[in-house]
Amino acid sequence: MEPAVQVENLVKRFGSFTAVDGVTFSVERGEVFGILGPNGAGKTTTLEIIESLQKPTSGRVSVLGLDVQSNAAKVKARIGVQLQASAYYDYLNLKEILTLLGSFYPSKVEPGKLLEQVGLADKSASRIRELSGGQQQRFAVAASLVNDPELVILDEPTTGLDPQARRNLWGLIREVNQRGVTVVLTTHYMDEAEMLCGRLAIMDHGQILALNTPRNLINQLEASYTVKLTMNQPMTLAQIEALNGAVEVIQSGEQDGEDPVTENTYLLRIANSPSALRAMLDEISKSGLGLENLQITPVTLEDVFLELTGNELRD
Amino acid sequence: MVALIFANLKMMARNRQAIFWALFFPLMLVVVFGLFEFNGVGVADVAVIDNSGGPRAELFRERLEEIKFLDLEFEEITPDEARRKVEDGDLGYLIIIPELFDDPAGQVQAEGPAPVTLLYSTRNPDRNQLVDGAVRNLVSDIHSDGGPVIPSQLLTADVIQVPEVDYFDTVLLGLLGLGIMTNSIISIAVRISTFRNQSILKRLLVTPLSIWKFFAAEIAAHVLLALVQAGIILALGVFVFGGQIHGNIIWVLLVTSLGSIVFLNIGFVLSAWAKSPAAASGMGNAVALPMMFLGGTFFSTAALPWILPQLSLALPLTPMLAALREIAIDGEPIWDTWPYLAALGGWVVATALAAVKVFKFG
Repeated sequence: MEPAVQVENLVKRFGSFTAVDGVTFSVERGEVFGILGPNGAGKTTTLEIIESLQKPTSGRVSVLGLDVQSNAAKVKARIGVQLQASAYYDYLNLKEILTLLGSFYPSKVEPGKLLEQVGLADKSASRIRELSGGQQQRFAVAASLVNDPELVILDEPTTGLDPQARRNLWGLIREVNQRGVTVVLTTHYMDEAEMLCGRLAIMDHGQILALNTPRNLINQLEASYTVKLTMNQPMTLAQIEALNGAVEVIQSGEQDGEDPVTENTYLLRIANSPSALRAMLDEISKSGLGLENLQITPVTLEDVFLELTGNELRD
Repeated sequence: MVALIFANLKMMARNRQAIFWALFFPLMLVVVFGLFEFNGVGVADVAVIDNSGGPRAELFRERLEEIKFLDLEFEEITPDEARRKVEDGDLGYLIIIPELFDDPAGQVQAEGPAPVTLLYSTRNPDRNQLVDGAVRNLVSDIHSDGGPVIPSQLLTADVIQVPEVDYFDTVLLGLLGLGIMTNSIISIAVRISTFRNQSILKRLLVTPLSIWKFFAAEIAAHVLLALVQAGIILALGVFVFGGQIHGNIIWVLLVTSLGSIVFLNIGFVLSAWAKSPAAASGMGNAVALPMMFLGGTFFSTAALPWILPQLSLALPLTPMLAALREIAIDGEPIWDTWPYLAALGGWVVATALAAVKVFKFG
């Protein structure tokens, strides 16, 4: 069976600006494929070319085995799309909107069933503006399913939602995927990508920097744990360097994210092995320094992103 | 509070398109109203048939041309043809200079020079009085060198009685055209502009819905709305204010639909240029209002100066109103209004092509 999506050497330029710069990837049927990147990375442009909303400057895109440029209508009939920012008719209720959208497709799902799937059955007579942000996003997912699609494309489905609404939507996306629908989504949330996606492409400046499962992306990093040490007195550079297994000192003393500034606190990355941690602790006790606090956190996608782009994730 | 006022002014100033149209609009009204000669009776179109050809007749013609409110034509026209045109309202006046015009003070005819014939209809009594008086004075003046003349014998008025047209009936159809035009242009321009701003159009574009179906559905729904609107306007005019529709109402509604399609297409074109619904509304008004005045909604376009009466013929509202009035007031069948229908049909095609060319979903 052909892949759900096949993108080859895709380039999209707007004047002198290159939004998508030679992107190649394929999405297998039945998987949840994520594209992670900051705003302006080229995620939405890539999706809009797949949805045949935009024409590529060069390269080839096929969806469900069909070239999107020459089979736009056929492709549109078999996929479901949730756009990043799109509204629905103000003066129609949810059920009426789904009925109308369904009328554009050869095959359609009964609106009541769709609303039930996304937990909005009791809102079928409501207007869009009467829904909360989370409900609106769930409705957008329902609207992308009106034609019983083989592939759904969700552009930042959880942006702007509170944590509970996001988790709620993750559950919905998993359910959809479990019914055999291939899902392609973009996000700029690391946790979301890690939770939902079978495979993940990390994109920045129009290029794919890495593509793998979230676990493999993390394991590929040389450093795999972040260790936060709080000492009873300052450490010299020589002492820090002497800590066996310390791959990289990424921060010392002054500031650590949102936590209050604690004196004599050091952030280290150490290799992904229990022996490296033991060696470090041995070194501390040998040196006679007092260890006041120790926190070990696994490396996340955020660290992967940091290493790949050299940037914090831009919002 | 003061900060809010300043912030509001800043926001308004930054919505440039909307402010341009908001300012442009009243300025345009001033100009359009200024163009009408409300104090005059407008220009009277006059055909002249000269059966004499003598020097005195030539002098008469020259002096006629000096009268400002007369627009003279010296084309070849037979008296019968001219009479029919006057009867239909296509020509205001016909002056026939008699063969024996150059016979001052009755050298050939004992009773004096043969009288000039002035032919007109009862359509415009105020203007008739003015034109009759001016031509009579001129004839009498021309003949004043030849001894005493009796002015009443120098001019024969040939008055064609036409059925009296209530001004309200004319205006009622003008209002119908106006209502359909403004509603069609502005409502579609604002609606589509809103849809685009909210990305509703983009959402439709990811479905297999074809563009022509989208257009057709919008137009069909709005034409139905226009017909309901037409029904309400006409019912109010006829049943409450005593207006009269002499012709077939089906033809009236058919012309209304055709006109509505033209204006909807124009609305689509404007929506492609408008960056916000407010700008779309301003643009809609800016297009609709000049047409309201130049299309002859309330006043005859003959009262317009310069080339504006000719320009008015090139606007879509003009043939729509002309066809509506011929059908509803003169009781003519729709096929007799074919030149107007052809003009409207041309507008439908031209505006549809323009709409498809400039329209953008994104």
